Amino acid sequence: MTVSRAPSSILFGIVNLYYSIVQFCQVQLVFGRGLASESECVSMTKSESNPESEVESTKREIHHAGEEVRIGVFPCRCGKNIGAVVDIDEVAEFSRDLPGVVFVQDNRYTCADPGQKEIQVAINEHSLNRVVVASCSPTMHEATFRKAVKAAGLNPYLCIMANIREHVSWVHQSEPELATLKAKELIAMAVSKAATLEAQPEQDVNVTQAAMVVGAGVAGMQAAYDLAEMGYLVYLIEKQPTIGGNMAILDKVFPQNDCSICILGPKMVDIYQHPNIRLYTMAELESVDGYVGNFHVKVKQRPRFVDTDKCTACNDCVEVCPIDVPDRTDQNLSWRKAISIPFPQAVPSAYYIDVDTCLGMDLIRCGKCIDKCEQEAIKPEDTEQVIEFDIGVIILATGFNPADPRKTPRLGWGRYPNVITTLEFERLINAAGPTEGQLVRPSDYQEPKSVSVVQCVGSRDISTRSGCSNYCCAESVKCALLVKEHYPDTDITIFYQDLRMHGKYFEDVYRKAREQGVKFVRGRVGEIQQFPDTQNLRLSVEDTTHNELIMQEAELVLLSMGAEGTAGELPIPISTTEDSFYIESHPKLAPVDTSTAGIFICGGAESPKDIRDSVIQASAAAGRASVILQKGRYPIEALSAKIMQDLCSRCGSCVERCPYGAISQDGTGKFTVVSALCRACGTCAGDCPKGAIYMPNFTDEQIFSQIDIALGDNPEEKIVAFACAFCSYRGSDLAGVSRMQYPTNARIIRAMCSGRFATKFAQKAFEQDAGAVLYSGCHLPADCHFQTGNHFMAKREPRIRKWMERHGIADDRFRVEWVSAGEGKKWQGIMTEMSKVVERHKEELASRKVAPPKKKPAKKKAPAAKKTTPKKKAATKTRKKAPQKAAVKKTRS
Amino acid sequence: MTDTKTPEEIESIIESIRPCFQCGICASSCPVFRVAPEINPRHAIDEIVKTGVIEPDGTEWSCAYCLMCEQRCPMGVSLAHLLVAVKNISTEKGNAPEGLPEIIHSILSTGVIAQDSDLDKMREKYDLPPLKRPTAKEVRKVLELTGATDLLELYQSKGVGSD
Amino acid sequence: MKYAFFPGCTMAYRLPFVEKSIRLVAPHFNIELVDLPFTCCPEPNSVRSFSDETWLALAARNLALAEKSKLDVLTACTGCHESFMTAKHELDTHPDRKDAVNEVLGEIGMEYTGVSAVKHMHQVLFDDIGPEAIAEKVKRPLELRVVTHSGCHMLRPEAILQIDDCEAPVKFDGLVEVLGIEPLEYMDKTMCCGTGTRRANREASFAILREKMTSMKMVNPDAAVVFCPSCFISFESGQRIVNKTFGTDFKLPVYYYTELLAVALEIPGMVPIIKAHRVKGPVTASAPGVPGEGRPVEAKN
Repeated sequence: MTVSRAPSSILFGIVNLYYSIVQFCQVQLVFGRGLASESECVSMTKSESNPESEVESTKREIHHAGEEVRIGVFPCRCGKNIGAVVDIDEVAEFSRDLPGVVFVQDNRYTCADPGQKEIQVAINEHSLNRVVVASCSPTMHEATFRKAVKAAGLNPYLCIMANIREHVSWVHQSEPELATLKAKELIAMAVSKAATLEAQPEQDVNVTQAAMVVGAGVAGMQAAYDLAEMGYLVYLIEKQPTIGGNMAILDKVFPQNDCSICILGPKMVDIYQHPNIRLYTMAELESVDGYVGNFHVKVKQRPRFVDTDKCTACNDCVEVCPIDVPDRTDQNLSWRKAISIPFPQAVPSAYYIDVDTCLGMDLIRCGKCIDKCEQEAIKPEDTEQVIEFDIGVIILATGFNPADPRKTPRLGWGRYPNVITTLEFERLINAAGPTEGQLVRPSDYQEPKSVSVVQCVGSRDISTRSGCSNYCCAESVKCALLVKEHYPDTDITIFYQDLRMHGKYFEDVYRKAREQGVKFVRGRVGEIQQFPDTQNLRLSVEDTTHNELIMQEAELVLLSMGAEGTAGELPIPISTTEDSFYIESHPKLAPVDTSTAGIFICGGAESPKDIRDSVIQASAAAGRASVILQKGRYPIEALSAKIMQDLCSRCGSCVERCPYGAISQDGTGKFTVVSALCRACGTCAGDCPKGAIYMPNFTDEQIFSQIDIALGDNPEEKIVAFACAFCSYRGSDLAGVSRMQYPTNARIIRAMCSGRFATKFAQKAFEQDAGAVLYSGCHLPADCHFQTGNHFMAKREPRIRKWMERHGIADDRFRVEWVSAGEGKKWQGIMTEMSKVVERHKEELASRKVAPPKKKPAKKKAPAAKKTTPKKKAATKTRKKAPQKAAVKKTRS
Repeated sequence: MTDTKTPEEIESIIESIRPCFQCGICASSCPVFRVAPEINPRHAIDEIVKTGVIEPDGTEWSCAYCLMCEQRCPMGVSLAHLLVAVKNISTEKGNAPEGLPEIIHSILSTGVIAQDSDLDKMREKYDLPPLKRPTAKEVRKVLELTGATDLLELYQSKGVGSD
Repeated sequence: MKYAFFPGCTMAYRLPFVEKSIRLVAPHFNIELVDLPFTCCPEPNSVRSFSDETWLALAARNLALAEKSKLDVLTACTGCHESFMTAKHELDTHPDRKDAVNEVLGEIGMEYTGVSAVKHMHQVLFDDIGPEAIAEKVKRPLELRVVTHSGCHMLRPEAILQIDDCEAPVKFDGLVEVLGIEPLEYMDKTMCCGTGTRRANREASFAILREKMTSMKMVNPDAAVVFCPSCFISFESGQRIVNKTFGTDFKLPVYYYTELLAVALEIPGMVPIIKAHRVKGPVTASAPGVPGEGRPVEAKN
């Protein structure tokens, strides 16, 4: 822990004391890249890690060795969500005959309390030791069912799901027969995997009692304040020289039209003075390593060149500074100096020097400010600082940018001086703005007699952002009211497509605007042209209520700007939507969680929203984050790679592949995995030339058997699609949630990370005559949730293609794709396109009667033995033993 | 390869315009709507989406093909494609405007849109060489294979475009 | 640079003097023009409206012809340019349509593959040669104030044509500026001239022209400059009809860009060309015409 800035106040002294106590109390878990002494930290964690973490030989046995595999299958109708498409009775009947299955029970809602109870009862009554729930996506309910089986005494890792909703019923709505067939095969794949699932000891880790909030706009401020008030140490990181965000530059805020900075200013001071908040302005995230409870963060802080403690914001330096720079706060409508303060209420209340425009902080080049400053606050020697700290949770409140009006050129912003954005208007009408609150038009500084407001700029347009920006309707009405308030005689018209005044009190404001004579015309403005003599504007708009063209002349036009997402710019792999907003873990039930445990989102970073909603969401994120902090310990991934020493050739390639430094070599040359550091991405196993790395519950054999069953019937028609759990699998789920229909021939195999997709999986699938194979991971370069797994997967592609060439397999039958959790449409597109490839391949097979690439293995209906490893034989044995009549019980509730 | 729209093709055209949310940008950008208020592209789309059928009423030929609507549509609806389809259907129904079959006929006989042989004289005036022209046979072949000659016959039976 | 020259029906048969100006200018920029037995492009608003398939096949035939001679196509008419570019886009992005078209072309011993590019004269002058290189050759700056009219099909569809910003084009203005001409900003700069609906809705067509020219007139230009023969005719001949129909008094000379370019470069042979204009304007060609100059190169097959 190194904090470069010495805190000066007594308050900060207290913080330090508090913090050192926190540090003292918690066990330090160190991990991640770029650590100076990796061996040291390994030994540290090793001492408290699971002593059974290493497996010495291939003679590992699953914990129930010798015990009969007894699988229970629970197909769910999910009301009509699954039941209306998939024939669940048929599926249940089919499941009963699968090897190892001793009990089948269908249900209307398996996830509901009675459904869970039934699973628990079945586990006890039928001595089930494996559970397969065939319902929705594991992303949705895996945790639910694992909890349920745990309550019945079964290790949670012995429960697995078959996704027959997002991957079947929702995407094949008009093909019930093929959907039912697919559901059966997905269940068979899950059952075969279930047979060899291993129980995993549940582990948890300490949670560092501190939080980081990125972005100090109104949302970030609120989140930081809530956590700080609960007593947690909070690092608050802000890119700009002041906190306050977009709200700080607004004039009034709807619907009450109270003064924005008047309500925000005191909050900004509270943040600055809070003993539990460490504020870093002009700072950006450099890197984040680690995982929930144990993040290690590096923050880079740009030099301010002004000592915030000494500066009294007296303005002397500004008076002598010779350099004018367009003012960001005033939306470039006025000038500031190279040394400046963003606005009078800025926090910290100190100047900063814009180093790109400053002539030079020495007496030869300029140095006037240094000369003038009596406090000697100017520090020419200031340099960039790197601050490092450990935290347990992260809240992303990075906000949004106002949309760029240049992206809608038909409205003339930038060409016509009297077309301005609503944000520019906020500055013009603001008493602290460039005109001291006088509304004038930029071309001639005259008071406009007529003002038109254009709605939906940068929103609801596929060339900018197709979504609605949520706040702009109310913003426009507010602007109209502000004009009316100051200049009651102004003729003002709002051109809208749909006026969405949905918030609390909004309708009152809308009514007030109408009563005050604001005109509302339904119709979206097609173009704006400028009269050459007056520089007035002519708006062309169809009044869609009256089907007539209006060519309205206005002296000033306000463009009501939507929001532009900025998510995805941080070095944190949280999936974003196509328009760059962070994707929540669940849109209804976990709206501020993300797919990465311990990282939360709020405010404009999640979606465009107004101040009130931002604050609500910020408090929600702080609440969710505090749940983790307060518990103090957090359950972590129990899965961990194991090296089979008798197969290992000690090449060390796994060490390079591990992004967590979990694999190391001991004095004897032996490589071992430290389980507490392993995150189970499987990238090491994906590339191990000897197949010496064992990934529990994602073993080679399990994946092979899934491929086997997927290709049991009509393999040439099938797509074997490998999808990583965090991006691509969620992308495929989104296709389901969005009911995007695609052909039924894909069989999706889920792994933690695309780094696990070994070359041999594709080869195996093609040897089994698969029509096509897809490897899909998180987007390159930086989206991978295991840092570099996707890079290593990408490197395998040429090898696979060469192998295909040698075996006469058409190149287009294999595809590597990057699908994020927000790209359901892309997933649908890939599935559709690959189905066409498969179709062509099938036709080719039929016409040429070409022999398949390699010797065709005999077709097997059910998963059957392959004479390879002794392990497999054992599994087969259990299967042979299993087919005793399974009980099928039906429930209708 | 002929130009008679199948029900599937018509359905796919209608499908492509369903994203339209009736904002009116197309109409406000349309030069024809500006001077002839009875011709409203937004309205035309709404009719097709609502009724599910494409029934050309003659106004489709007023489109100046300036592509402004297509360029600005916030939903990416291709009005130009729609209008080409509507005009094609209109043509099939025998409703091509006066002069159009003559143009096709001109292309059929000369390859270009210029019937008057004196026009080459005008080129001579500026010391320009007569332009090379394709053989009548190959042009006819292309028009035959793509259904234009059949369509033309429809109009010739009505007494237009024949010589 | 050698191109298959595609003047288009309108220019070739109705404005041959404009075509002449292009052929006069070309050698000064090392542009060699090759004539091929092209058909009409064909014009989308008529042929494509009649039959989409016929339009696509004829356009593909023209492009295939250029491919055979291993030449890119140089267009002089924005209508032809848009027609080719849209057809090319259609063929290059829809393999099924391309196959169907090639089946037809196969019958006349041709094939479209998509290797030949299509460029408009405007692109060659602005993007390849560049305003600076043109400025160097200017001998007689023309002191005029003009409005430029790029024309619909030079600008749209923007994604396919990619010639200039379709809402606020600036390149054409840049080209006239280097001839010593002041381009004027005016309203409705990207608006249609009305040609497109002349056949079907004559009244609307001239009403559109009236709107367009009213906006032009607001800035009192000496002339309008165009890059399209159809727009040329629309403005030059159309304004008389507009005047008669709506009682306006437009008297705006119209030039195709290469005419002004040739005059500014003092290329001989421009006198009869300038004389051919129906609305007499401020531009005079001083150098006497030299017959026989600018004869097009014969295509070698």
